[in-house]
Parts: sequence; structure tokens; C-alpha cells
Amino acid sequence: MIKKIRTVLISKVFQESKNIKTISFNVNSLLKKYSSEYYTPTPGEFLMVWVPGVDEIPISLSNYDESGDWSITIKKVGECTKALFNLQEGDKIGIRGPYGNGFKIPVDCEEKSLIFIFCGCIVIAPLIPLIFKLNKLEKKFIVIEGVKSENEIIFRDYLEEFLIENESLYISTNDGSYGYKGFATNLFNLILEEETKEGNRINHVFSCGPEKMMYELFLICEKKNIPFQTSLERVMRCGFGICGSCVLDPSGIRVCIEGPVFDSKILRTCTDFGKYNRDFSGKKYKI
Amino acid sequence: MVESDYQINLKQRYLDHFWKKEELDKSKQKLKKKTDSELLEVNLCNLELESPLILASGILGVSSSLMTKIKKVGAGAVTTKSIGPRPRKGYKNPSIIPIDKKTFLNSIGLANPGIDYFLPEIKKLKQEKVKTIVSVFGNSIESYIEIAIKAQNAGADAIELNISCPHDNISKICQDKQLTYKYVAAVKKELKIPLFVKLSPNVTDICEIALSAEKAGADAVTAINTVNAMAIDIETQRPILSHGSGGLSGKAIHSIAIKKVYDLYKVLDIPIIGCGGIFSWKDVVEFFLAGASAVQIGSAMYQGINIISKINQGIIKFLNENNFESISDLTGIAHNFPMQTDPDF
Repeated sequence: MIKKIRTVLISKVFQESKNIKTISFNVNSLLKKYSSEYYTPTPGEFLMVWVPGVDEIPISLSNYDESGDWSITIKKVGECTKALFNLQEGDKIGIRGPYGNGFKIPVDCEEKSLIFIFCGCIVIAPLIPLIFKLNKLEKKFIVIEGVKSENEIIFRDYLEEFLIENESLYISTNDGSYGYKGFATNLFNLILEEETKEGNRINHVFSCGPEKMMYELFLICEKKNIPFQTSLERVMRCGFGICGSCVLDPSGIRVCIEGPVFDSKILRTCTDFGKYNRDFSGKKYKI
Repeated sequence: MVESDYQINLKQRYLDHFWKKEELDKSKQKLKKKTDSELLEVNLCNLELESPLILASGILGVSSSLMTKIKKVGAGAVTTKSIGPRPRKGYKNPSIIPIDKKTFLNSIGLANPGIDYFLPEIKKLKQEKVKTIVSVFGNSIESYIEIAIKAQNAGADAIELNISCPHDNISKICQDKQLTYKYVAAVKKELKIPLFVKLSPNVTDICEIALSAEKAGADAVTAINTVNAMAIDIETQRPILSHGSGGLSGKAIHSIAIKKVYDLYKVLDIPIIGCGGIFSWKDVVEFFLAGASAVQIGSAMYQGINIISKINQGIIKFLNENNFESISDLTGIAHNFPMQTDPDF
């Protein structure tokens, strides 16, 4: 892991959609200083990304490979993501991490059992490394991507290449411009019914997306008794568990250490999930 | 050579100490052996703490739920984040960064939700029976008083006056003995609960400031706040922290803090709460030997909050192995040894 902030050169910028870009950089030279073995992140881990002169924010890794090429995928929303969006190849950003726990892949996946991967909007990014890993482990899975409109669909070519054999990529758009028309949670319910009819057991749901949507999905999974994992987003300063900015009530867990990925067991006890967030003053506000 | 007041005072201290030790030795034989957890109990300004380990201000002190958890793993008390008159988001990131092994640089800029928002959190801590020290800062003497009283009424067990945050104007207070006196005396006058004053190492003479706080009625001092520091990224040639400079905490400042506590113990009558770079039970013992009556732990929490219970266990083992009846018996022992004052020629 990269302990201190280290500056890296952006090696590649790829425009995924109108507001979304993937930024790649190589970390090989940084990692060698800490360990002789190649460090492999876990799907779902995040970096603290510093845009010099602007801000430093937590961003999940959207890709990494064995040559040390790492990527982050960002949507232009705030001051820092806007600054990131405007960066070009050859520009410098600071990184440290990866931090957090990452997704846990269940070991007891039987035949005829299914894993769902559910992504809302751009937040598919942290799930891409998970998809790669599941594919490598030859697990059977279904991907549902829910977006507002066709032009927001990202990583489609990527996913289709991976998933076409299983016909396991489902896309929903709110305006019906592509795939299923309506909310992704409704689509999820439909597929769930169908799979159950065919006798497939739903083993696990991995998800990432706007928190309200994730909360809804969590409630569906609770009703159907399906194990669930989701990655949460909170404001962070340190990323390694001392500032307390990302604490969830009432159990006092920190998103940067015990998270950002949480399972059903923890989410059941978390009264903030889907309801409250904190700003930089530590004050809570309704999501 | 004529002995100065200071030297006479020091001598008296040695004598007092040895006398106390003799008395203690006598009473030890009469007393029944204490249980392990009793060894850790300290009385800090009439606050009965189950452990001398206190959570330092600014670390994890935002939510009562997490502070309750920290009490449950064995902290004697918790200090909240510094609370001011109104919500404040502080400085942008980077605002806390790792700078070296077990060492961090921060300039959060006193981010806090404001006292009115924070009162229910203090009440919750009270309900959970967590000994709570509320760290307080203001933008005037009046606002310091107002916030301290509000915290007291909500159930705070003690107030820690933050007059020394290195990246805010309030640090001007701790750099001036008269200002320190003025602020401490004004708050103390209105307060029923103990008042601690957090001191800065970024001054010419910390003892002078501490004496001023003591004279003004402080019940204890916390030493030390973070050390002024800075980091510059050589690739982009700019300071890394958004505020430019910040305060250094963790391993790198431990020895600085020990020296400050050692110096303070020589001049103060009120207890000293040692703070700076505690990562193991050995660091705690060292603080006590230098003169601390309790300690605060902060940066080390990145290793997980269970570090508190590990440290408690380590102290108990040390006390048992060395036949000490209480952690408090360690306070100031390092002063019993006369040091070489003149070099050999």
C-alpha cells in the first residue's frame, strides 16, 4: 500500500460518457519501495486522491492489473471531480491507499446459485474489479446496471465482452431509452422472480449506487433472505480511522476502516444507512 | 553557591517524594493486594477513572457511539473534538496525512458541529456512563464561557480548554501568559466541574504559560498539543496540506512531549495529563515517570481502538512485575535521579 501521499503521472484518460472519465496511472515504482512482492488491491478498496491545489477525496479503484496500472472512474459532480475531469495525460495527481475492506466473495457458491451485481448510475466503478475477480473464479453471476438514460451507460462494451455468453447483463433506464424502462430495483424484482421459478438459488447480492437506491435494494434482499453487500460513501479526511468524519451510528463503525463495504448483518444495525450522512463539520443531514 | 528558590523547591520535592514513598511502603504491607483492574485506577481532579488512558481531543470524537465504544475497550475517559460556537467545516483536504512511520500531520481547522448540535451527544455519553471531557474553543472569552457552561449543564465531567490549536488564531492565547491567565480565570470562575488547559509546545517557555494557567485556577494541564510542522510535495513543489502547515502528532513527538511533561512537573502543583505519541504501555509508563497523572492517546487509534485494552494489559503486567500498588505511584519517579548539570572537562 502507498502510505504517504505520492504523486503519479496520469498515463491515460478515457471518456466513458459525457460526464464520466476513467483516469489511469502506474504505481509500480511506488509499490516496490514498500514490498518486493506485487501488491494486489481487493475489489471495493479506495484511494485518497489529491488534486493539488483543489482537494483530496476518496475514490474507489475501478481497475488494476499486474503491471501496476490502476484506474479511477469519476463523474463530474463536485469541485474536486470537476478538476479531475479536466486533467490530461501527463498531469500529476497525488494518491495514497488503497484503504478500506473491499467486497467479500462467498466461498460456498454452489451450482445453480447466482450472484447478483447491482449498480446504480456511475457507481458501477468499484464493482468492475469484482466482476473480473468473479469471472476469474468462474462464478456464475448476473449484472444489473440502472441508469437514468442511455447516454449514461458506461462500461457496456467491457461488460458485454465478459458477459454475453451467459446473457447476464441487464440494463434499465428511467426514460426507457435502452433496455428495461423503469427503476433498476423493479427490474431486479422481476429477474429475481424468474430465477426463483427456474429453481436457481440467489446466493448473494453485491451492490453500489446512490444510497437511497441501495437501501431499497437492501430491504428487498432482507425480505427474500438474500445476503447483501454494498459500498457506502461518506466524507473522509484521513481514510485510516482516526478523524471520525465517516462514523456510522449507532454502532460507531467507520466507513474507512470497517467499510466501505458492509454486509447485511452490519447494515441491519445501522440507523444511518439510507437515511443520514454527515458533512465536514460532523453534523448529520438527511439523505 | 546560593540556591535559587527553584532549586530549594526542587529539593523539597525530592524530600516529599521519599517521605511519601516511605509512608507508602509501610501502608503497602497493611493493604490487601489490589486486583489487576484496581492497579489502573486514577483519581484525576476528583474524577475516578478506571484507566489513566483518555482519548485525546480531535481523534474520533465526533460521535457518541464511537466514543462509547472506546470507553468499552478500556479508556478511562474520552475527550471530544474541540467544540466551538457554531458549525464549522474546517479546512479542505488534504487535512490529515501520514508523514512518516506512526506520524501524522493535520490541519483540520477546528471542524465541529457547534455546541448546540453537540449537546445531545454529550447527554448520550452521560447516559452510557462515559467519563466525558469536552474540549472547548471560542472566538471570545464570552463564547468560551458560554460553550463550557452549556457542556457542563449537558453532563460533561470536565472541560478541556483548547487555547493551543496550532492552525488557528486561538493559539495566540497559549503563547501569552497574560492572555492564558485571562481566559482560564474567566472560564474557571463560572465552572463547577474541573477545568483542564491544553498547552502548546510551540512556545518559548511552556512552564511560564502553565504556571499562569495554574494561578488562574486550572485544575490540570494537558501537554502537549501538536507540534507546528509542514510537508511539501517535491513533484508539484507545493505544500501538501490545504492550509499549508499543520500540527505533527504521533511517534515523532513522543520524546518532545516527555520533556515538556518532565519540565512541567518540576514547577506545577496541579496534575499533568501527558499526551503525544503513545503507542504502547511503555510510552504510558514513560509519561508517568516524567510526571504525568493521566495520559491521552490519539494517533495510535489508527491501529484499531483495541490498542487501548492492549496498553491497559501491558501496564498491569509492568506494575505487577515491579510491585507497584498503583499506576499513580509512578508519577514523577524520574525526578528522583539527579542529573549531571555541568559537563566534564
